[in-house]
Amino acid sequence: MFFPSVEGSLVGMKILLIEDDREAANYLIQALDEAGHVTHHAADGETGYAMASSMDYDILIVDRMLPRRDGLSIIESLRAENDETPALILSALGEVDDRVTGLRAGGDDYLTKPYAFSELLARIEVLARRSAPAEASTAYQVGGLTLDRLSRNVERDGEKITLQPREFRLLEYLMKHSGQVVTRTMLLENVWDYHFDPQTNVIDVHMSRLRTKIDKGRPSVLLHTIRGAGYMIRA
Amino acid sequence: MLIAVFVVFAIGILGYLAYQTSIMIQTQQLRAIDSEIDQLNKQYQRLGTRGLVVALQRNANRPGPGIYYVADPTGQAIAGNVLAVPIDVLENPGTHTFKYDRGEDLHADDPRAQGVALVKSFQLPSGFRLVVGRDIVERRGYSAAIFQAFGWGVLWIIALSVIVGVLTARSVLKRVDTVSDTARKIMSGSMSERIPVTKRNDEFDGLATNLNAMLERIEQLMQGLKEVTDNVAHDLKTPLTRLRNKVEGALKDGTTPDQQREALETTIEECDQLIRTFNALLMIARVEAGSPSGAFSPVDLADVITDIAELYEPVAEDSGITISTELAALPRFSCNRELIGQALVNLVENAIKYAKDAKENPAITISLHVAGKNMIIEVADNGAGIPVEDRQRVLERFVRLEKSRSEPGSGLGLSLVAAVARLHKGTIEILDNKPGARIRLSMPTEH
Repeated sequence: MFFPSVEGSLVGMKILLIEDDREAANYLIQALDEAGHVTHHAADGETGYAMASSMDYDILIVDRMLPRRDGLSIIESLRAENDETPALILSALGEVDDRVTGLRAGGDDYLTKPYAFSELLARIEVLARRSAPAEASTAYQVGGLTLDRLSRNVERDGEKITLQPREFRLLEYLMKHSGQVVTRTMLLENVWDYHFDPQTNVIDVHMSRLRTKIDKGRPSVLLHTIRGAGYMIRA
Repeated sequence: MLIAVFVVFAIGILGYLAYQTSIMIQTQQLRAIDSEIDQLNKQYQRLGTRGLVVALQRNANRPGPGIYYVADPTGQAIAGNVLAVPIDVLENPGTHTFKYDRGEDLHADDPRAQGVALVKSFQLPSGFRLVVGRDIVERRGYSAAIFQAFGWGVLWIIALSVIVGVLTARSVLKRVDTVSDTARKIMSGSMSERIPVTKRNDEFDGLATNLNAMLERIEQLMQGLKEVTDNVAHDLKTPLTRLRNKVEGALKDGTTPDQQREALETTIEECDQLIRTFNALLMIARVEAGSPSGAFSPVDLADVITDIAELYEPVAEDSGITISTELAALPRFSCNRELIGQALVNLVENAIKYAKDAKENPAITISLHVAGKNMIIEVADNGAGIPVEDRQRVLERFVRLEKSRSEPGSGLGLSLVAAVARLHKGTIEILDNKPGARIRLSMPTEH
């Protein structure tokens, strides 16, 4: 089986997958294993809750509709016990309202079935990193590229680069997650705050413009397209 | 049951009224007797026994129900208009009722020959006995008349109320029957059946009108569902067949790993397209069911339009299309931001497809303004436009005009916009931009 292998991504995360569909679970466990993560699996809500509250995980992947106990109530209970382990909700429901209720219940991200594995992987890696401390930095640096969030100054090898406000936010998001894959939908969600799936290649065009500004005519390329997944900025 | 309660109640009220009336009459008669006695007493004090007798005889001779009688201390009648008064009435001062002989030329067994008197008797200081009173047969007749009138009244009221009740119940039942008839017809399958509305404009007509509106809505939803299933059959089966053929071809003997890989990649692309179509369908269904209205919040539509314009500006520019906005400064508008954003995206993506074949300077304009009580968002392009005969059709699900068949898309874009408009109690119109199309989304500011 082939999964996009991604250099520089987080490895060795301990993941709890609460999912009742055996086949989907097996596929995910194998794929996460190939990406270098250890996955425990619970096939129903009660077992899932017991495992989540008794062991330490880096991330929870929780299906919304589960036998014996639904996914949202597991997350709500964990949050009530001050367990802040990042949780990604998987759901066959994908409407705006469902997403809102999912996030309100304490979920950190929401992914609608069916999804691409690359999308899931990118999201859990970003979530796990988000929970790591020391992230409120005011400036980011990747190779010779620096971005100052306060002065809104962007330089490449000491040379100032002028960006449109939206391009700045795109780059800021990419650099905040440098070394990690960010997908097109993640960019649309975080930079534009919309949760739909654009039919045309809108994000790609924005990225190619950004790339022209930061990479064109440079000896090394920082902004990479990860085939089948999205984008990554790294030195 | 209700009628029985009503009848008892009516009889009770009327009986009470009659009783009170007769009490009142008696009180009045006693008062009249008292004042007469008072006057006679004055006469007696002024003029003595003689004066009294004269005055009394004068009163006695007046026709009417008055009864007068004076006896000397020995009990001998001196004056008056009755022949005799029972002895105990004369001897015991106070109020009495007794039967007396009217003394008229009547046969003894004529009921009118005997009268009943209500009198007060008292003794004058000189030993004379004075009796003043009224013939109460007359009063009794009066009371009887009152009771009789009340009785008739009760009878009439009961009769009328029974008739009116039966008539009302019958007409109400008849109208309820028409409602249940209609319901039965609808259940047996004729969805277009409606409850007849009369010109009376009463509560029943209000009910019928509302029920009809509900039926209209249900029929619309069912129609929509039927269209969807028909269209799903066509528009999802076609790509699924294509998908299956592709995989089958890749599994044939003699295909190289490269060919298989390519086939798998196309399969994923096709799957993604199917998922998109499916998501769009679900979204339309959810929006039409009106469920996401809970997510309404005040939104600056100008911001949303600016965002979307900016999101699509690079894509449009790659095709040589310019996107511009004309935004009026307006207060926040209560809506579902995600859905309005999605609707705008669909409109802009459509406009980009159409603006591509503009004759010169392909351009898209997104505008926002208020007209009357409506918030108006317009997306206009200067491409080939949509022929008048196709304008209504393109709003239907899965309808794709010939020219767009080659472009990616599900044919659901405008249907979703229409559904979003309906969710916000608004409408979508396709207008002529001369050249090009102008899609107008208008939503009431108060909803």
